[in-house]
Amino acid sequence: MQSKLSDIELIEQTLAGNQAAYADLIKRHQRFVFTLAMRFSKNREDAEEIAQDCFIKAYRSLSSFQRQAKFSTWLYRIVYTTAMTFLRKRRVDTDSIDDDETYIQLENHPSGFDTNSVENKSRSYYLNQAIEQLLPDDAAIITMFYMGEQSLEEIAQALDMEANTVKVKLFRARQRLKEKLERNLKDEVKELI
Amino acid sequence: MNKMEERLWNYIDGTCSEEEQKAIDMLIAQDEVYRRKYQELLGLSQEFAKMELDEPPMAFTYNVMEGIRAEIAQKPLKAGIDKRIIKGIAGFFILTIVLLVVYVLSTLKLGAASFDVSFSGHLSDSLKMPDLKNVFSGPVIKGFLYFDLVLGLFLFDAYLRKRKVSKQL
Repeated sequence: MQSKLSDIELIEQTLAGNQAAYADLIKRHQRFVFTLAMRFSKNREDAEEIAQDCFIKAYRSLSSFQRQAKFSTWLYRIVYTTAMTFLRKRRVDTDSIDDDETYIQLENHPSGFDTNSVENKSRSYYLNQAIEQLLPDDAAIITMFYMGEQSLEEIAQALDMEANTVKVKLFRARQRLKEKLERNLKDEVKELI
Repeated sequence: MNKMEERLWNYIDGTCSEEEQKAIDMLIAQDEVYRRKYQELLGLSQEFAKMELDEPPMAFTYNVMEGIRAEIAQKPLKAGIDKRIIKGIAGFFILTIVLLVVYVLSTLKLGAASFDVSFSGHLSDSLKMPDLKNVFSGPVIKGFLYFDLVLGLFLFDAYLRKRKVSKQL
């Protein structure tokens, strides 16, 4: 059972030496941190490693956490930097956001996503499949915006960017996700025929 | 097409101005293309919001806490000791040494011909003090001052090394 205390209260208890309070804090945020790590690493083993590393790093620097920002925003910043370091080590290509060529292709792509055509399979299955095909930054921004309850300003803070830049990136990421969904659905129809 | 989608996404996210919002309200009501696009993007937005979070392994919290415990256990003893304790001990010794030196110097009678150590203070007869003449004999004081000198030089050397390193950084 998870604690009803706020994040700040749990942090204060942790700083006072109560490790159980930190375990509660982990339980509260682990699903989102793990999901975000999955968006970057694309596999469960690496995501687990990144997520664990994040919580250990957060514990180490908990005393430096400024209470002006949300704990989740501060934590997501750690996830982002940890994942980036991890990917750099693994030499995974993370160039994504400013890929103008892809953007131009998207601009001219006919839009025909029909939400009714996914009735035979779980919608979340298609969405997850499409998200997995996105580049890490795109997937992370969409995840933070829709699942992490983060505003554009908070995402900007977590990713160390301007809020307007995040807005543009979010728009492009959604376009790409929509395109992936359309492509996957077309492939599915072809397979059925 | 792209501009329209951008405006509609801002409208759905609630990040556009009030004026813009009113203008889009009108467009959705009057323009069939706008209305269809709006319905499509709204459906997508709702789908995105319904996405499920991935579940970490069952032992995730336990593993993290074990990692933290291992890290604490690996912490060198030096880092684990509260610096205030070290400062307190250092302060105590410095104060004791200073008081001892002051006391010794104030009670020493240094003659040109001989090195005579005698206590000149007056104490009550009821108070029996140990025979300090034996304790503060010449070799003991010399040894004590020599030790202080070595300790002082050692600390001064450590200070200079630290300063050199910080300058290099």
